[in-house]
Amino acid sequence: MTKASAKMKNPAKFLFVGALLGCLVSCGGKSGTSGSAGQQERTTFPRAETLYLAGFQWGAPNTFNPLIDQPAWPIYGPPFNLMYEPLVLYNTLSGKMDPLLASVHEQTADHISVIMNPAARWSDNKPLTAADVTFTFEIGKRFKSAPVSYVWDFVSKITVEKVADPAGGGGKELEKVTFHVNKEKENNQLALLNILKSFQILPSHVLEARLKALDGNFSELQKDSMDKDPVVSGPYNLHAYSPEKIILERRDAYWGNKALYGGRMPQPKYIIHPIYKSNDHFSIALQKGDLDVNSNFIPRIWLKFKSGVGTWFKDPPYFEPGSIPMFTINTTRYPLSDRNYRRAMAHAINYTNVKELAVSGYSPDLNPGLILPFGNEAAYFSAEDAAKYGAGHDLDRAKQVLADAGYTSIFKDGKLDHMENAKGEKVPTMRIRSPAGWSDWESIVKIAVKDLRAAGIDVREGFCDEGLYWQTLPTGNFDLMLQTPEASLSPALPWSRFKAVMASRNWKPEGEKMNENQGRYNSPKGADYNPRVDELIQIIPNLANEEAKKAAYRELNVIFMKDQPALPVVYRPEEFYDFSTKHWTNFATKDNPYAPPQLPCFGAGRNMLWEIKPVQ
Amino acid sequence: MKLFLNLLKTPSFVFGVTLFLATLGVALVLPWFYDVDTVGRAGTPYLPPSAEHLLGTNHLGVDFVSLLITGLRASLYVGLLAGCIATLLGTFLGVYAGYKGGWIDDLINLVTNLFIVIPYFVVLILISASLEEGRSLQLIAVIIGLTTWPWTTRSVRAQAASLKSRDHIGLAKVNGCGTFQIVTLHILPYLLSYVFMVFIIQIAAGILVEASISMIGLGPYDSISLGVLMDDAMKNEALGDGIWWAFIPSTILITAVVFALYTLNTSMEGVFNPRLRK
Amino acid sequence: MLTNHPTLRYIGSRGIWYLATLIVAIAINFFLPRLGTANPVDVIMGKVASGLSTEAAKEKEEAYLKEFGLVETNNLGEIVRDSESHPIKASLLTQFGSYLWMTLQGDLGTSFLNYPKKVSTIVAEAVPWTLALQFPTIVLGWIIGNLIGALAAYKRGVVDGLFFPLSLLSCSIPFFAFGMLLVYQFAIIWEFFPATGGYANDVMQGFTWEFISSVAYHYTLPFLSIFPVLAGGMAIGMRSMAIYELGTDYIKYSQWLGIKESRIVLYVFRNAMLPQLTGLALSLGMMIGGALITELIFSYPGLGTAMLKAIEGNDYPMIQGCTLLIAITVLIANFTVDVLIGILDPRVKAGQAL
Repeated sequence: MTKASAKMKNPAKFLFVGALLGCLVSCGGKSGTSGSAGQQERTTFPRAETLYLAGFQWGAPNTFNPLIDQPAWPIYGPPFNLMYEPLVLYNTLSGKMDPLLASVHEQTADHISVIMNPAARWSDNKPLTAADVTFTFEIGKRFKSAPVSYVWDFVSKITVEKVADPAGGGGKELEKVTFHVNKEKENNQLALLNILKSFQILPSHVLEARLKALDGNFSELQKDSMDKDPVVSGPYNLHAYSPEKIILERRDAYWGNKALYGGRMPQPKYIIHPIYKSNDHFSIALQKGDLDVNSNFIPRIWLKFKSGVGTWFKDPPYFEPGSIPMFTINTTRYPLSDRNYRRAMAHAINYTNVKELAVSGYSPDLNPGLILPFGNEAAYFSAEDAAKYGAGHDLDRAKQVLADAGYTSIFKDGKLDHMENAKGEKVPTMRIRSPAGWSDWESIVKIAVKDLRAAGIDVREGFCDEGLYWQTLPTGNFDLMLQTPEASLSPALPWSRFKAVMASRNWKPEGEKMNENQGRYNSPKGADYNPRVDELIQIIPNLANEEAKKAAYRELNVIFMKDQPALPVVYRPEEFYDFSTKHWTNFATKDNPYAPPQLPCFGAGRNMLWEIKPVQ
Repeated sequence: MKLFLNLLKTPSFVFGVTLFLATLGVALVLPWFYDVDTVGRAGTPYLPPSAEHLLGTNHLGVDFVSLLITGLRASLYVGLLAGCIATLLGTFLGVYAGYKGGWIDDLINLVTNLFIVIPYFVVLILISASLEEGRSLQLIAVIIGLTTWPWTTRSVRAQAASLKSRDHIGLAKVNGCGTFQIVTLHILPYLLSYVFMVFIIQIAAGILVEASISMIGLGPYDSISLGVLMDDAMKNEALGDGIWWAFIPSTILITAVVFALYTLNTSMEGVFNPRLRK
Repeated sequence: MLTNHPTLRYIGSRGIWYLATLIVAIAINFFLPRLGTANPVDVIMGKVASGLSTEAAKEKEEAYLKEFGLVETNNLGEIVRDSESHPIKASLLTQFGSYLWMTLQGDLGTSFLNYPKKVSTIVAEAVPWTLALQFPTIVLGWIIGNLIGALAAYKRGVVDGLFFPLSLLSCSIPFFAFGMLLVYQFAIIWEFFPATGGYANDVMQGFTWEFISSVAYHYTLPFLSIFPVLAGGMAIGMRSMAIYELGTDYIKYSQWLGIKESRIVLYVFRNAMLPQLTGLALSLGMMIGGALITELIFSYPGLGTAMLKAIEGNDYPMIQGCTLLIAITVLIANFTVDVLIGILDPRVKAGQAL
């Protein structure tokens, strides 16, 4: 008996059937549906063939057009690859680029080249070629408002040539696409690698024709929601969507089944992304088995194990850490401009409490510095430096540093009243800005404020609405601000994290917008400007020698620890990854690591779609 | 005085007063005997109730009895402040509109409708974004007061309009009394008992509105109210994990306060309007 | 002519005042969100700017400002800049003019946060759910509440002693807290009803048995969370009105005249009903805003959350669309009640001021 018919027996269903349903039924017709004409419209989805996945779509889907900044899942987000596919897949387990539409062929300081997979096909059976690749990136050159346009800061030109198959292949000629590093602008091959895994390749034959029909009006093309039978290259295509969910249907003729997966098809015929309005509903759905795999923060995950929920690690920290939420410090404001004050803050916070209370223990112990001591970054981490220069939790040290720097904390009734500096002036109260309602972040701030005040440092919570948060982040109009620079994993880490926190090449005064180093650290016009920071950030991407690279990273990390321009508080995974085994089994875990801990809609996490098994 | 004695003879009034005083006691007197600590970590997160922590701990390991006492105090404060503002403003405008009638009445009615038409959370978000301190408990109370007065105005206006054709008002007019004098000396005294009942309802409304504002995630940044506690419970997934002590005690407290106020209101209505008594 | 028809004159004057209210409300809803320093593009940039150079981020930001009509452009469609090459903001009056013009043509514009989705599409997708949940619940709560109130007032004694405290208690519980308790007991512990959503995730919207029964099944808990609060409030209001009416002279007179009991009850009910109608109008008007918390607790489809996000993200067209809709529903509900009162209330017919 199917789930739907079992439900019908429930008498409660008959309670409120009435005329009111008329308007819901009629509005159902408005939701976009695709699928060829004549095919019978499906009204329910068999549980054994459907994978429920959530965590990437929060409101009603806006559009499925890949030419604008934020279309709906599975177009926009961590390089998704279910409908449109990027050239390569980043495998966060190995740190390597797995082949997809192409494979990485050559990588030098001047260029990166890829060899196209000749088997790649669009859903209308036209071959996917180098022409599609150049078209996809050239859009950014032709139209400034395309998301891909910034690529040209990193790429000077893209060339295509025919080469003999490097693997032998019987003398067949293959296409080689070469991306040349833009030496004059960003000169950064690390970021270029990032671009290859991030941008989905689009069908030139379809879009060029559409553009022609619109007389080359790109802005009009961007307004097309592209939800009717889109031509895609991936294993799934859009089946239907509504404000409550997005439904993908398997493309049985996907080219990669034969070329990459040994002739097998992905297991789920449908993938449904339900859209919930409140965080706790993901947790309830996961426990009930209404959701199969999820990337939302769920507290106390171990309590859910008895309901068949699983995570990457069986034991704490349960998730693979990948990024560092931190308090960005506005280093231009007094007293935050004082390095001793910043170091005292770093000593004052009890990182174990933050980890255990705010993020349910989903983090290993925090190490000082900006380099993760595990995963692909571990090679650059130096425990010796961290112990020597880092400021760990030590309340007495915090008080000592403050006292040495001339600060006095005045307590009244055991509570901090205010601070005075060496001149006897009152030190202003600093506020930590964080969006109200982000519950785990709220907790981080509350715990840190409690610790800081106990150490005699006059800091307060500064919760604000999300709008204000995003508005003040780039302008630097804040004291301290909780943020996670470089939240997604990429081959450019940890370099890109250093750049996001410390680079002052594009330094702007407070009030003007800066897209990196929002704490305004190391002003080039300042008296104590340290040119070495920018120098290191400049040279690291192009260092070929691993030893030299490690040395450069160590030097940069030591500067960070000494200056403390930001306060890392805890580690966080790139995306949370938890699953329910009520309806599907064989999800990748640490003990069964055939795919990285990612949801099966992006990166190498997609490999799970071919391996999971329905519960009979 | 006779009215008051009548009130004391009404069991529902006595019940309402007792319940309300009991909640006041929890908020104001209990802290003398109980070590209230809403910051310190008393135990691990979501400890179930025990002898040491009668109602367990919250998601940050803070003692729940402390939180409830502080939350109740904040909710009562918001209710009182918002109730005062809404009652004063609403009564004044209502009496004025009811007495004056004509285009002034229509104009006040327009403003009243405007406040009903513009959702309060639009105002709340926009004002709190422009303040450095963000949304304080006080600001929320003031905004609730400033957006709930139309209800008072509506009901007071009808009462005032029915009073104005009475003889003593006409007499006062003939004697050359100004509008202000007539309103304060000749209309308001007759409405006092009614206004007091409205005030009680406005306190209850203030408490309920604060709780719903907090549930939307627009609660005070700087304080713990009963609404904030319920929002915390929901956000930190107390429901899914069966942590009932995170939301049931706060629900009971809000309900008790509001129930006490509603009971007070209806029992007074019975005394002031003898027909309702029996 | 109107002077000869007091009822018509009354309705006409109410109508004009409501129209004036609508116009002022539209203006306030337009200017209020724009008074602050906040800029809708900042929220979008916060999400898309990661990885961009400062220069590229600035270019992108200006492209958005231009697309949304927030900066001045010249005939060629280029952004007009001041001497420091900062874009010049479009004047509020110009924006207001074009907003009014578009609204009059029935175009609510394009949402900023859900770009390039039309505001009217978002509203059309969400509003039926809000209406389907709130409208029947409010009307049913009103009818049942009034019946209980009238019954309690008429019978007094045990019926009153039972229903009155119950009604009082049921409207003292905050409805969202009650909703949470319902979810906890019926959806999580007993699993009788689903905890979230407007219909099952494995069902498509359409005129099918699966969809309709699924909607009904998911309707139960949200309905139960709002209904008792409404019915309780209405019952209390109706009870005191009816008791008041029952004690009036005309009822005593009718009883003395020996008019049938049921007829007297009808009189009482009709007269006590008039103030209750205003309560109904207000509840109906508050539907859209009031649905917000229900949406959050049950992940129920509807407009409330979309509107909250729009306000937090300064999505001006979306805010304007929602507030316009709210203003129109509140005012129409009020106006309808005024018309009803105009027809039913004898004092209006007599040309008396209310």
